Amino acid sequence: MSATPQRRPWWLALAVILIGAIWLQQGYGLPDAAGYGGVGPGAFVMLVGLVLILLGLALMAQIARGDSFEPQEAESAEADATPSRKALAFAAAGAAIPLLTMRSLGFPLTAMLAFVLVTHAFGSRRLVLDSVIGLVLGGICWMGFSWLGVTLGGVLPLAGW
Amino acid sequence: MDAFDSLMTGFGVALQPAHLMWAFVGSLLGTAIGVLPGIGPALTIALLLPVTVKLAPTAAFIMFAGVLYGAMYGGSTTSILLNTPGESGSMMTALEGHKMARAGRGAAALATAAIGSFVAGTLATLALTFLAPAIAELAFVFGPADYFALMLLAFTSVSVVLGTSRVRGFIALFLGLAMGVVGIDGPSGQARLAFGSPDLLDGIDITVVLVSLFAVGEILYVASRYRNAPPAVNPLSGGHWMTRQDWQRSWKPWLRGTVLGFPIGALPAGGSEVPTFLSYTIERRLSRHKEEFGKGAIEGVAGPEAANNAAAAGILVPLLTLGLPTSATAAVLLAAFQSYGLQPGPFLFVNSADLVWGLIASLYVGNLMLLVLNLPLVGLWVRLLLIPRPYLYAGILVFAMVGIWGVGTSWMDLLLMFAIGLVGYVMRVYDFPIAPVLIGLILGPLAETQLRRALSIGEGNPLVLVSSPLAATLIVLALAVLFLPGLLRKLRANA
Repeated sequence: MSATPQRRPWWLALAVILIGAIWLQQGYGLPDAAGYGGVGPGAFVMLVGLVLILLGLALMAQIARGDSFEPQEAESAEADATPSRKALAFAAAGAAIPLLTMRSLGFPLTAMLAFVLVTHAFGSRRLVLDSVIGLVLGGICWMGFSWLGVTLGGVLPLAGW
Repeated sequence: MDAFDSLMTGFGVALQPAHLMWAFVGSLLGTAIGVLPGIGPALTIALLLPVTVKLAPTAAFIMFAGVLYGAMYGGSTTSILLNTPGESGSMMTALEGHKMARAGRGAAALATAAIGSFVAGTLATLALTFLAPAIAELAFVFGPADYFALMLLAFTSVSVVLGTSRVRGFIALFLGLAMGVVGIDGPSGQARLAFGSPDLLDGIDITVVLVSLFAVGEILYVASRYRNAPPAVNPLSGGHWMTRQDWQRSWKPWLRGTVLGFPIGALPAGGSEVPTFLSYTIERRLSRHKEEFGKGAIEGVAGPEAANNAAAAGILVPLLTLGLPTSATAAVLLAAFQSYGLQPGPFLFVNSADLVWGLIASLYVGNLMLLVLNLPLVGLWVRLLLIPRPYLYAGILVFAMVGIWGVGTSWMDLLLMFAIGLVGYVMRVYDFPIAPVLIGLILGPLAETQLRRALSIGEGNPLVLVSSPLAATLIVLALAVLFLPGLLRKLRANA
């Protein structure tokens, strides 16, 4: 059997219960006026929240029983390998960088930054080459999709373009 | 108008030069993107959605028909040459196909997969042509309670069949349902779960969720567990193409795979996992070369691959006639329909006959195109498999950003991309199935509407949900799907 990432991931069950609680509470806060005989906007939300809480508890029971969680198989990845936190952090930074830069630096530069961060996460250390490829790819995507009619914002909003 | 006439009208639409070109573009792009490791058919269609923004709906769906089969073909290529099925339907193909490739028979494995896909796809499309209008006719009598029961059946089966644990399958489903209620509630006009953000009032876009879960989640997961070795692609050169014996051993599995794949795929509880698995088991039992199974038996590629393609056509039956998606791919197609303001269901056949029949006719055309395209171009696709992994995954992220930022240039979508991407990572680490999230997200709002409609009709009495024989039967089936596997296991343990 492969090494489990964490023997008892309690937080996983707690997260499910928390989401359920938020939905239940929000659904409860909705005015339940639905006309005759029907259910209002809150009922389904509350139902979803309630079931999520129950499922979270069921998951907690499974964790307490010691059920194993085997990571899924993926290409180029070793499910059993010890995960590299550093690589994960770089890849996650690549996915997060648009939050900071998309509105000011625009699509092509944001694509370049994300591209460089992900290539770094995968072990590439050729910063200049990676940046150039990322910028070219981002530029081509911006131009190509703008031509197709997809709006991807300005090239460099900061400069007013 | 009977099905044959309709189909001829459909061919009239599909064979217009512009539409033929879109079918070709779709097949080409579908194969090129589907062949990339880690990208299955559902994600391929989602990533290609932005390409169609300017197209008229008919042209767009004709292109999607090509993309669908192209992506499936691309997926089987990846399975055979890299042993990495992009979706659960091609797991069985990978099993024998990869062994064949290692033994230098990759070309034969790819050929039997391509020709098998063509045979199965064509026969299944034929079945779709004549079955779909009949079911659409039938669906006119469906009331809200029947629809709700049907969706319950889809919910339970998708959560139980996919993945290893029912609890985790249902958590995935309910996360999707939870995201589905975000936004303005139609009947009451109330904002739900928008947390004061105007961007959330329109709800969470399925493209955002799908791309984040599949692409971003995959990138994070592979990055954290990356094995820094060049991809081991099995060479095609020097291998023999299908021999006479290969043909003899392939044609029966193709037909049997089709017979298994289409009906099971067409069921509301269908999907492509069960038929491909069944096909593999049956071929193994029937084969005269049992000793080759596990070492690269061609029957084990031909059968499951045919079953997979036939199931893909089968899945279109509940999708087009009832608006019921039973796989991640179908959920994206449904989202594509919705983005054009079209609601699949019985009325689609009446209101948009040109589109539906054009789409169905394009399935025939796309199938033929793929066969012509792929047998000679396989060398090119293999080269795509060799893209260095850092560039491949970084490129996938850039395309994911196009898909998500292009939906509405909304910062909230980028935030969702990051957050849902992390969820996708966690789901991979702890083995949660992903398709139920999408089914929940897309079917949830429809199920809620039908539920509220049914309860309004019944003046609040919940018994209205089982008042029609059809609804009652479907709910019993849904419960059976939920509890039977456990009961069977217990019986077997006691025996």
